[in-house]
Amino acid sequence: MNVQLPGAHRYIGERTPRKEDARLLTGRGQFADDVRLAGMLHIAFARSPVARGTITAIDSAAAREVPGVHAIYTQADFSGVALNVMNFFFGPCEAPVTILADGRVSCVGDPVAMVIADSRAIAEDAAALIEIEIDEEDPVITLADARGGAPVHPGKDDNIAQEMGDEDIDEDLQALLDGAAHTITRTIHHQRIAQSPMETRGCVATCDGSEEMTIWISCQSPHLVARYVSLAFNLPETAIRVIAKDVGGGFGLKNFPWREEVAVIAAARLFGRPIKWIEDRFESLTASSHAREQEVTLTIGFDADGKMVGGFGDYSSNNGAFPMGEDCNVAVHMFMWPAYKMPAYGFVSRGWYSNTMGLGGYRGPWAMESLIRETLLDDAAREIGIDPIEIRRKNLIYLTDQPNTTTFGIEVTDITPGECFDKLLANFDVPAFRKEQAESREQGRYLGLGLAAYVEPTAAAGQMAPMTGELATIRIEPTGKVTASLSTHSQGHGTATTMAQVIAERLGVNFEDVTIFEGDSAIGGFSPGAAGSRQAVIAGGAAWTATDMLADKVKEIAAHLYNANAETITIEGGMVHIEGTPEMSHSLREIAEIAYGEPARLPGNTGAGLEAQFRYQPPPFTFTSAAHACVVEVDADTGFVKIQRWISSEDCGTVINPGVVEGQIAGGLAQAIGQVLLEDMPYDARGNPLAATFKDYLMPTISDVPDFEYVHANTPSQTIGGMRGVGEGGAIIGPPTLVNAIADALQPFGQIDLLELPLTPSRILDIVESRDVSGDAAKRAKTEAEAPAEEATAEVASSSGETSIDGAWNMTMKTPAGPQEMVGHFATDGGNVTGKFTSDQGDQEFEGTVEGSRVKFNLDVEQPMKITLKYDLLFEGDGVSGKAKMGMFGSAKTSGTRA
Amino acid sequence: MKPAPFDYVAPTSIDEALSALADAGGGATILAGGQTLMPLLNLRMSQPFIIIDINRIAELKGVTRASGGTRVGPVTRQADALADATLAQHVPVMVEALSHVGHYQTRNRGTVGGSVSLGEPAAEMPATAVALGATIEIRSSKGTRQVPADEFYLGPYMTVLEPDELVTGIIYPDWADGHVTLFREVAQRPGDFALVGMVGALELSGGTVSRSGIAWLGMGPTPIKARQAEAALLGKSLDAIDPLAIAELAVADTAPFDDHHASSEYRRTVGRRIFTRTLREALGLKEAA
Repeated sequence: MNVQLPGAHRYIGERTPRKEDARLLTGRGQFADDVRLAGMLHIAFARSPVARGTITAIDSAAAREVPGVHAIYTQADFSGVALNVMNFFFGPCEAPVTILADGRVSCVGDPVAMVIADSRAIAEDAAALIEIEIDEEDPVITLADARGGAPVHPGKDDNIAQEMGDEDIDEDLQALLDGAAHTITRTIHHQRIAQSPMETRGCVATCDGSEEMTIWISCQSPHLVARYVSLAFNLPETAIRVIAKDVGGGFGLKNFPWREEVAVIAAARLFGRPIKWIEDRFESLTASSHAREQEVTLTIGFDADGKMVGGFGDYSSNNGAFPMGEDCNVAVHMFMWPAYKMPAYGFVSRGWYSNTMGLGGYRGPWAMESLIRETLLDDAAREIGIDPIEIRRKNLIYLTDQPNTTTFGIEVTDITPGECFDKLLANFDVPAFRKEQAESREQGRYLGLGLAAYVEPTAAAGQMAPMTGELATIRIEPTGKVTASLSTHSQGHGTATTMAQVIAERLGVNFEDVTIFEGDSAIGGFSPGAAGSRQAVIAGGAAWTATDMLADKVKEIAAHLYNANAETITIEGGMVHIEGTPEMSHSLREIAEIAYGEPARLPGNTGAGLEAQFRYQPPPFTFTSAAHACVVEVDADTGFVKIQRWISSEDCGTVINPGVVEGQIAGGLAQAIGQVLLEDMPYDARGNPLAATFKDYLMPTISDVPDFEYVHANTPSQTIGGMRGVGEGGAIIGPPTLVNAIADALQPFGQIDLLELPLTPSRILDIVESRDVSGDAAKRAKTEAEAPAEEATAEVASSSGETSIDGAWNMTMKTPAGPQEMVGHFATDGGNVTGKFTSDQGDQEFEGTVEGSRVKFNLDVEQPMKITLKYDLLFEGDGVSGKAKMGMFGSAKTSGTRA
Repeated sequence: MKPAPFDYVAPTSIDEALSALADAGGGATILAGGQTLMPLLNLRMSQPFIIIDINRIAELKGVTRASGGTRVGPVTRQADALADATLAQHVPVMVEALSHVGHYQTRNRGTVGGSVSLGEPAAEMPATAVALGATIEIRSSKGTRQVPADEFYLGPYMTVLEPDELVTGIIYPDWADGHVTLFREVAQRPGDFALVGMVGALELSGGTVSRSGIAWLGMGPTPIKARQAEAALLGKSLDAIDPLAIAELAVADTAPFDDHHASSEYRRTVGRRIFTRTLREALGLKEAA
């Protein structure tokens, strides 16, 4: 697709130095805290010191007396403000979220009051004087607590925040697993991560008059923030401008404004002066949305050769009290298999509320799929007695296997996980390593090799409200220089450079003459910005086509002005050339001056000026493939892990700038190393976060992250330009690669049966010494002994009593989108039943079968998607219970009473 | 900066500093290198009424030879101490331990006295002072006292320093030329406080151990002096030393804790191991068959 003009300068694919680096490296970036406005006041939050309870009193009297304090707000002060705190999809949160605690506190760090003062220091002085009385309750902290514990949110039946899938394994799948030659089950407990961007959250908000607002915020998309604020405050008429020129890391935490940032905006509106809040590191670690805490158990059946025959995954994640949208992370299951031949897969997935800080998106939110799959594959290879390379080659998807459709209905046509894996192995001498490994073991040195492969869904567009296309508006200014206004946003993504590379090459101008404007909702158009590994793909495609449109216009004008055929015109180095007549070359500036200043000279149908605009809507997903290898040495005396070598073999299609691609991979891998070896945000039993500073929260540093080696493959995607996203991959593939290397190194000692992260030196010695050095086993035994008895399942035996099914029933179906109320009308006739559901969605009729008091029927629905619901209901007395299977999305519990 | 309000004085002499301390009546905090204090102020984990900045007191800086020892002024920057020829000659293990304190950048500002007097139990400087039998010189407006390092530490971040007292010197006693130095720690990242570590010195005369000083870091609420191990080594000839048995004795004196970085069992297990290995390597002992 990347057709070159003869002699044109290549920028796409060049390791071009970044335009923004001079500014950033000399301390001249503009971050949220660099914004200082006349009359600006500062906020500090008073936060809950306890994890759970009812607020009985808030006394701010002493705090108000502090000189320099202007106002102290609690949730009551916002009671008159119509404010809707939404999730990423602009939808409601299941458990309603208020900006400040509304009568109850649900986690340590829950914001209870906000102080507005002349300085942050004064605001903190006053916040410390606010007396919050709380009638404390026993908190629910861990996933185990949440499963049996009292509901975090009053009025809810349990702590399930979201549920999809079906815990009962389908009969057909069970038969496949029962018939498998080898069945392997593995469990992983992944610790809680504090997102820890280099720049913490921060926001400066000012009302310009009663309707307009300007907001500087550390975010991932100024456009998304503007849209969110407009919807959250129901201000469709208000002009909201959001600016974020430079941002020091987002990772998902800054996808959209959350409680504190919304509170700052609300306070600025209420108080009427510019207000700033910059999160300090203590708040960032303990009160910014956390990530990852999750458990998964995966079972895979293999045939005698090591080919997968079926699998079942059970996933849970700790959503905390107020997640940034309840989430059972169904993407873990959706994206577990596109890279592999997996004929049958079932799952159940649940998000659980707890009295901990809420969960937010974090680079590769579904990354657990690769961690559990790739670590299990290694274990399976050992059990089956084949090489980890062989088990992958037997099961990975190659180009020749495509098109292929996963059990989730995801069709892949052009992914290259198998090819990336082979290319990786072509660049790493495995037999030589195995020899070195064997020799080293003789000397008491334990080396290990980890391999992993995956695909990363990138550039999602068109299926979720915020995940749109991208817009590029490109202009040749009267000076002949090129400016572009884009919907992109950079938190270090280098879009000001990569987009300029695309434009310079496609237009035929010098890279230095292209300027990118972004980072301001008044520039470009809507997009979610740096979210979901999308900008190179979608904005790159938008810039590509808009530039081509602009080049066509230049050629049309030049052809007219200079009496030439447009086909013979080329643009190179900012000069317009006519084939065969070098003396007729003209600069873009000359043409631009005419286009702007003397439009009468332009061809008839050409408007004045030189600009073009294109919004690119790509395919719903574009997959990037990769395979990684990592070599570690484990010190069996201390349990320390030293990473010796790490190779990435990735295929992200057309590479605009290898430096930027490698930077993305390296950053993700650094996070992966942190997750596997260092980072941990534990809570104590009372719900106190235990890593409140960087002394205890261990980020990977330069000495923990090796120099990575990169092998690029370039299979163009089907998007304009052929790019594929690469933003999250390192964080997804990194953990299994490293864990597999450590597990390989530990083979002389034993298996990691239950993987608990991070793999601290203590946990590694558990394996080396085959005893409970870490104390984890003792802790697990204690937890199991104390666990509340499992709720007796409401298993209703096939009732022998006479139950009349006929008539009307008030029924509720618990769907992932929330409970759905309906009235069921049933009429039985021998072994058959007919009836209909009546709800605000209208009537839906059905026919089915009756067996005793058990009724089964299918119902085809069109909304929200075409799907057949398979109902299986048991009637007993005046009650009915059962479930409706929703195809690949699992089943919805359905229950009711006689109307 | 967003600390709680405080007053600030920057005396230029010890006497001025001491009178400021006395006047503060317990509400003062000493600012030396600030590598711990400044973040604590910002996080409001420390809220002094007055900060007494001792960076301008020349008499608190520098390394000098004292009778029978080497005296380090508390405001001596860690980077300067690392480059100091006197320390390298007379207190080599202190210099080795110092290279593990913080990071290259923080050592330009951080001071030896700050590290000694903060009392972090997993830090290198307190354990080194305890191991070598250093004396902490402490002054207040009432007078001067000399406290042996192993009596200086009471608990995590707790020392015998009274609110009106200032550390004015750390005196490391001389160990015989050519004495054996012991140092090893394991820390998750370079610059971190150790999960477990040990530091010490041995004098040999006529092939037997004539003097021993060893302490643990990260193995209890304070630096822990390995008294049983020290005693067991005394008078032993090299070929009679069983490093593992000595390490077992050393571990017996500890009281390590569990945290999310390492379990107490890990600290004991690895402590025993690094102690054995360090002793064996330092004394050139062969590994038991």
